[in-house]
Amino acid sequence: MNAIHEGAPPTPDRLVHDDPAAGVFNVHRDVYRDSALFELEMRYVFERHWVFLAHETQVPKPLDYLATWIGRQPVLLHRDDKGKLSAFLNVCPHKGAAVCQSESGNRKFHVCPYHGWTFDARGDCVLVKDRAQGAYPAHFEQADTRLPPLARFGNYRGFLFGSLNPDVPPLEEHLAGISVFLDMIVDQSADGTEVIPGRSYYTFDANWKMQLENCLDAYHLTSTHPSFMNIAASRASGGSSFRNIDIADFVQPAIPSGSYTFANGHAAIWIETANPEVRPLYRQYDALVGRVGRERADMMLKTINFTVFPNLQFSCNACIQMRVMRPLSVDQTEMRSYCVGPSGEPADQRKLRIHQFEDFFNPTGLATPDDSRVYESVQAGLRARSAPDVGLGHLRGLAQVIRGPDDFAQRIGITPLTSASGRSDMQDETVFHGSYREWARRIRAGLASEVPA
Amino acid sequence: MNPDQALVTGSALLYRQGRLLDERRWQDWLALFTEDCRYWVPAWVSEQRQTEDPDREVSLIYYDLRSRLADRVWRVESGTSVASDPMPRTCHAISNIQVDAADDSSIELFACFRVDYHWRAKSDAFFGHYRHTLRREDGDWRIARQKISVLNDYIPTLLDFYLV
Repeated sequence: MNAIHEGAPPTPDRLVHDDPAAGVFNVHRDVYRDSALFELEMRYVFERHWVFLAHETQVPKPLDYLATWIGRQPVLLHRDDKGKLSAFLNVCPHKGAAVCQSESGNRKFHVCPYHGWTFDARGDCVLVKDRAQGAYPAHFEQADTRLPPLARFGNYRGFLFGSLNPDVPPLEEHLAGISVFLDMIVDQSADGTEVIPGRSYYTFDANWKMQLENCLDAYHLTSTHPSFMNIAASRASGGSSFRNIDIADFVQPAIPSGSYTFANGHAAIWIETANPEVRPLYRQYDALVGRVGRERADMMLKTINFTVFPNLQFSCNACIQMRVMRPLSVDQTEMRSYCVGPSGEPADQRKLRIHQFEDFFNPTGLATPDDSRVYESVQAGLRARSAPDVGLGHLRGLAQVIRGPDDFAQRIGITPLTSASGRSDMQDETVFHGSYREWARRIRAGLASEVPA
Repeated sequence: MNPDQALVTGSALLYRQGRLLDERRWQDWLALFTEDCRYWVPAWVSEQRQTEDPDREVSLIYYDLRSRLADRVWRVESGTSVASDPMPRTCHAISNIQVDAADDSSIELFACFRVDYHWRAKSDAFFGHYRHTLRREDGDWRIARQKISVLNDYIPTLLDFYLV
């Protein structure tokens, strides 16, 4: 079987076969392995829509800056001396050099290393070196000498998003549905949330959508992470002073769970936590109930993983991981991983949070490396182009998923497009469908926009 | 203990540590540490600054008990972690060892390391600096503190104790 771009041009309907009424949902394997499709998804899925940039606590002080990306394009975030944030492309309007070489820091100006053009924290050019002597043509007076501002730049309760395309809905509309889950992170403290210093950058040699799916994949826990499960069990039986989540609990029939897809590709799962007392947040339970109410407080103590499509994910088990995906190529992905916690939490709570995070997450933890190696195994397996070109990996839960919100969704006030709740050992796979529907919608719209008039 | 003796003692222990890891003698490696050892691989906050406070900032790896370090050894030995199957072949090269302080019960050392590793037909390396505090316990020198500053922290897939 050839890659599809070698024959007929890619048709989104063939890439994502979506007919749940007939019991069918599958994703063509070229979606994970075809480099021509990768170009399309960078252009149409990432570079024409809202993409997560950073959390504002990553640039906390006046004149702090941070380098980030939208798809393949380098972006700079910069806070000016009054505290106002701007976002622009990291490219000098003169010769195209990246004006900032560092990943983060604090400075008043970016001076292009090539010819010295100088830009302030708002991206405005404050110096064209030797401008007066330059014998520039008259139209140079009107030339746009700014660092190109992003077409759209938005801040949802501290989470910063940007779009290279002005023709996108307002950020709040884009986040509709999933914003409740961001709220549940922010509202864990009256002072909001913060990124805790100490980041981890790593890569895996696989398509970014392996990560996109895995964050919401309850089905892999017992088979990919038995070593973590055994360590958790031996800590519990050995009376260890250090405890973390026990993922064995996540597939017990008596443990309820739910999974939801939302408009614009976002998705979330929750699983009841059998041992909420191991969570740092649990130490604030009474105060939390007083501030946000019992239902919301109990929700915050569940395990909740969610995707803000296309590049932001949170895993909230004992602690909270914020994970940013940056696809590098069809078969390589960069991950930026951060520990997030309620601002102003007590020192012992913060300490526990940090050590639980280190225990589980990151390329140096006891769980993430198993995930990353599995993604690489999948990418290796997908070289088998003579195998059927669709897999059987999106079918669990299909006989049970319903359109719209289920009872639990209504109770907590979310508005999913689909709901699949029940015993956690169902380990639903319909939760992936929403992201692929949006992916296909964007590819379809992008291709249609390229058709000559 | 004079500095020359400390250098000989300290170097021997660091070389032995590297060799035990390369030879996958995990239990012997664990036995090099004191029970209350602090094993610390800081993360980076930015290109120029490493984390400094393991209780307020996120480390790549941080333990203040040998029993917690033993979890990692168990994980590798158990055969239940796909991340360590197959295990990479490793080569610990340790150099530039200097004694920063020494007395009869403790030695502080600085050293450079480079760990080349090979797996799945591919070679890579981690490099950086070790800072060890050795303590004499029952006549034997053990590692009471080990800080491993990994300088190339853009990590391909994973990093674990046997790769640094």
